[in-house]
Parts: sequence; structure tokens; C-alpha cells
Amino acid sequence: MQRVGVIINNRYDVFQSKVIQGIEAVAAEQGYSVEIDAIAENPAQPRPLSLNFDGLSGVIAIANVLPDAMLRQIHASKKPLTLISHDVSDTPIPAVIADNAQGMALLVRHMIETCGRQRIVFVRGDMGQSDGSARAAAFEREMMRYNCMPPPEFILNGDFKPTHARAAVARLLQTRTDFDAIIAADYLTALAAWDALRAADIRVPDTVQIAGFGDGIEAETAGLTTVAADVIEQGRRGMRQLIAQIDGVQIRGVTVLKTYLVARNSTRLR
Amino acid sequence: MIDVRKATRQDLKRHNRSTLLRAVVYGLADNRAALAQITGLAKPTVSDLISELITEGFLIERGTGEAAENGGKRPRLLEFVPAARQVIGVSIDAHQITGVLADLSGRIVAEHIARLDGTRVIDILIDAINGLIAQLDAPLLCIGVGVPGVVDSERGIVEHCAPLGWRHLPLAEQLSAVLHCPVTVANNTELAALAQFAFRSGEIDRSHNLITILVNSTAEIGVALRGAYYHHGGDIGGLRLTPTSAPLHETLSWAAIQHHAADLRASYPATMLPERDLTIVHLRYAAINDDPLAWCLIDELAEALATVTAWAIMLLHPHHVSLAGEIAELGAPLLDRLRAKTTALLAPETVDAVTFSLADDARLSAVGALAHAIHQKLDIL
Repeated sequence: MQRVGVIINNRYDVFQSKVIQGIEAVAAEQGYSVEIDAIAENPAQPRPLSLNFDGLSGVIAIANVLPDAMLRQIHASKKPLTLISHDVSDTPIPAVIADNAQGMALLVRHMIETCGRQRIVFVRGDMGQSDGSARAAAFEREMMRYNCMPPPEFILNGDFKPTHARAAVARLLQTRTDFDAIIAADYLTALAAWDALRAADIRVPDTVQIAGFGDGIEAETAGLTTVAADVIEQGRRGMRQLIAQIDGVQIRGVTVLKTYLVARNSTRLR
Repeated sequence: MIDVRKATRQDLKRHNRSTLLRAVVYGLADNRAALAQITGLAKPTVSDLISELITEGFLIERGTGEAAENGGKRPRLLEFVPAARQVIGVSIDAHQITGVLADLSGRIVAEHIARLDGTRVIDILIDAINGLIAQLDAPLLCIGVGVPGVVDSERGIVEHCAPLGWRHLPLAEQLSAVLHCPVTVANNTELAALAQFAFRSGEIDRSHNLITILVNSTAEIGVALRGAYYHHGGDIGGLRLTPTSAPLHETLSWAAIQHHAADLRASYPATMLPERDLTIVHLRYAAINDDPLAWCLIDELAEALATVTAWAIMLLHPHHVSLAGEIAELGAPLLDRLRAKTTALLAPETVDAVTFSLADDARLSAVGALAHAIHQKLDIL
């Protein structure tokens, strides 16, 4: 049986565990075994890679788990490589990503056209990750399209970390409360922003409406409006892309998957 | 060249198969007897061809209908299976390749984008198509490709494509040999026009005439007449509106607009347009906020486009004009000015009879390419 390696930060993270589910489903169908190397389950003390590349038919790297220089090195060694939720510009390394621009357009359109909100705060993700920078750029573009550009202090740094997002919203509330909606670059930081509003006795969705990118059980339980990318499907598509390369097919470019709006209680029709 | 060859039995069979399949796809008949009645084909012929289409997976039998008034057996109902095959549509522009993978109803299941980076374009094209082939859930029926420039779509030859430097390139044949699948090739803007009729999803009446003006790195016109019964497209980028003006592809290119904005900046010191990294969305945003420099640039664009549009309206009598490509991102400010400036060149009642719209979906030509490929292969669109 051929073996493929999957390099991730944390196998228990909601997003990454679902991607693995998709990878493993296709691997089982096609007769591959999967070895997972989770190198940052303790983010404070990431450890070196433990996978032996020589015995692997191919490798999948998820999000920003490896520096771009190392990804380039793996690609140059001709080892079949697929990236999921990450894209290294200026290289032909194939990748599978969710359509950040389309997803953010859905969120902004929902907030402005359906919910009638225009003074929108944006909680950015990690701007060093392609998902983070692409979602921030798409938010700006859509707000311009609606002629609703927010003031600079409405753009907060959440870094895809709930603690950072909660603190950033709490700091904003000390100086400004004249916003009527929050969009976050991922749903976990949207939930953290909601916590900060709750702590300040600001009612959701009456006073401020909230939505976030991506979807998971936590968002569903809390009633958070999201745009959902089918993360298991991302894993499935990534594994198919890798198997094609293992079979000798040359692929370059990015496979892009659409997102869809999941409207819940944190937003309301105007 | 005029085709004077008489139809063969194979031609006739292909025609009859398409007629039957089309009748089921469009809901004109849902059982063998009704198909024989509306097509005029003999019942045994219908029965044989329907059996073939069922065996190949394009149709399934699902339940039974009402018996005829004079009694007899209840007919077995037929249903089209869009998931029976998948199709790939790809378009190439000067910067990237955009591909879509869809079923026979045009439902897109994956997209693939590959940037042009100096590697041979045909190699990137094959690698990008491979990215979609890796995602197939059903057998691949065919591949459609759209390119800018002059294309002989009957023979699949790119006669002239300035942005990619192609001349007399038998693209369909070359791709088909490598990918082992039928390939069709057509002009990008012709395909963008076709996409607006295809899959019965558009808002445009299928009996109407449509022209699409597409501006990306090139300037092109696509024509779809009588609901895409006749379609064609071509490059107008080399056209100079006056003997002393620059060719259209230069006047309308985003690089030219950026340079022009920089040149005019001194005359509009209060402009809200950013000095660096100016985008089309910035230009639209500034126009909406009454920025004089933004309006000056949009007026110049509208003026150039209006001349082309006026000629196209007089020659082709379209019911509808759509503006596509990255320039369509300028939205209502450009469209309103285009209409006003076209009206100034023609009798107002001529322009009043034409509707104008924006087609700003970046995948439009790729969707048209898959529609074109399905049409060539099955003739059901």
C-alpha cells in the first residue's frame, strides 16, 4: 500500500481535523495509507518534522504549517506535493483553497443588502497567511463597491486567534460604539468578538449583528451567521490532486471551491 | 468552403439522437410515444436510440405516466441525467487560465486557476486542465477552450492571438492528442456571449440578438444572433478610432488608464484616487463619490466604447449589449455614460430599443467554452 504524508499544525483543530477526514476518505477509496505529522499541537513549542519523506509517495501540507522556502524545496525535489488552504505565489505548486473573495462578497452583501447594516467593523485574520490577506482584500473591495468604506479604526487585528479578536473588540468599545455590525475573517474570532460585545452588554443582533468566515459546530451552536466552505470536500479534492500527481500527471495552479451563506440568529433581516 | 457532402447514416443517426435528447432536456416529451409523435421519427427508431441513450447513462427511466385515453400500457417516463458526464471549459487571457468543471446542466463543481508565468502557455494550459481532470466524478465528455484573437472554431485553429503570440496554431488537435479527449476552441468573447444564453440561466431572451464587448488585456466583440443560433467573435484591439489615436487595446487597457490617471493627477490635486496600486474598484468608488478625475477617466473610456457600440448597433441590430471583462467592474458609472454617449451618436429611438448590462463574472468565457463544447458534442443547448 502506498503511503502519503499530511503535515498539519494541530490534528485536533476543527478545520484541520475535517480536512483530514476528507483526505482519509479518498485515501481509503484509492488504497493509500495516511501518516499525519502534527508539528504544532503545542503552539508555544512547535517541533521539527518527523515524517520520513523517502518512504512517502506524496505530501499534503495544510495552511501555513511549513515556511514557503521549505515548500519550494519539497517541490524542487519532485516529490508530489499539494497545499490545502495555502498558496505559494510565483510557484507552480498545486493547491486547493476556498474562494475567499466570493465568500467575503457573500458576507458583505448579506450584511448590507439583507440586514441593512453599513457601519461594519472587520476583524482581520493572520495577514501572513494567504487566507487572511485574501479575505481582508476582498472585504475592502466589497465595502468600496457598496460605497461603505469603514474608518481605519474599524479594521481590527484578530490574527485568527480568539483571544486577540476579543481583546481588539474590547479595546474598540472603549473609544467607539458607532458601529452596527462585525464581520470576522473566521468564525472562531467572530464568536470571540461576540463574547466581547456580551461583556459590554451590547445585544446581538438588535444593536450589532455578527458574521464570520467558515463554519463549524461552535458557530451552529451559538447561532452565528457564516459562509461555509465545505472543508471535508477541500480535503477530498486535495487528496485527489495529490493522487493524480503520484500517477505522473503534472498539475499547476489552484483548485478553488465555492462557499455558501448560512444565515443564523446573529444577523437578522432588516 | 461549402460542404457539398451528402449526409451519411452516421450523420443521420447523430442528428436523430440529438433531437430526442434535446426534446427530453427541454421537457417537450417524457416518453417514447410522445417523442415519436413530436419528432416524426418511427417508433422503432425512437426505441433503439432511447435504449442507446439509457445504456450510455444520458437518460434513465423513472416511473410511469398516465395511459392514453384509448387505453394501452402506461408509458415509462424518461429523465435526463446531467451527471452522466462532466465537461471542462477553459479560457485563457494574457495573465491567467481560468477553468471550470461542470455537469451537463452547467452546474459547476470545481474551478481551477493557473497564472501565466513565462512558461510555455500550452504547457500551463495542459497542467491546468489536468487539475480539473483530477477532480472528475463522471466520465469526461469533452473540453472547450476559449482564447483571445481570431479563431477558426470549425477546425479548432487559432489563426492569430496577439497577447499569446500564436499564429496558425492547431490548438484543438494538439490538446486532444495529449489529453485523449475531444477539444473545441473558439474566441473568448464569442464564448462570453454564448454563456449568457447557455443553460437557460440568463435573463436574456433566447430568441434575441446579443453583442458582448469584452475588455481585458484585449478588446473584442462577441456576437450571438437569434439566441446563439449564429455566433462569432473577434479581436478589435487593433482598431484606431481616428488615424492619429492609439489602437483600442492600448486606449482601453488598465495599464493605459493607470498611466493616464498619473498624467492627469497634477490637474486634479484633490482627487481621492490612490497614487499607487490603483484598481478598477478604486476608480468606481471615486466616481460614485463624485471625484472629477475618476469621471474624466470614465468619460474617456465611455467615449471610445460608445463609438464601437454605435457601429455594432447599426450593423447588427442587437436587442442587448453587454459589457464584459475586468472593465465591467466599473459598474453603473461606466454603463450609464456608455449609454448616454452612444445615444449622442445615434437616433435616440435606436438606442432606446437596446438594453445594456454588465457581465462581470470572471468565469464567463470559461462557462461559454463548456457550453460550446457540449453543443458541439451533443447539440442539446
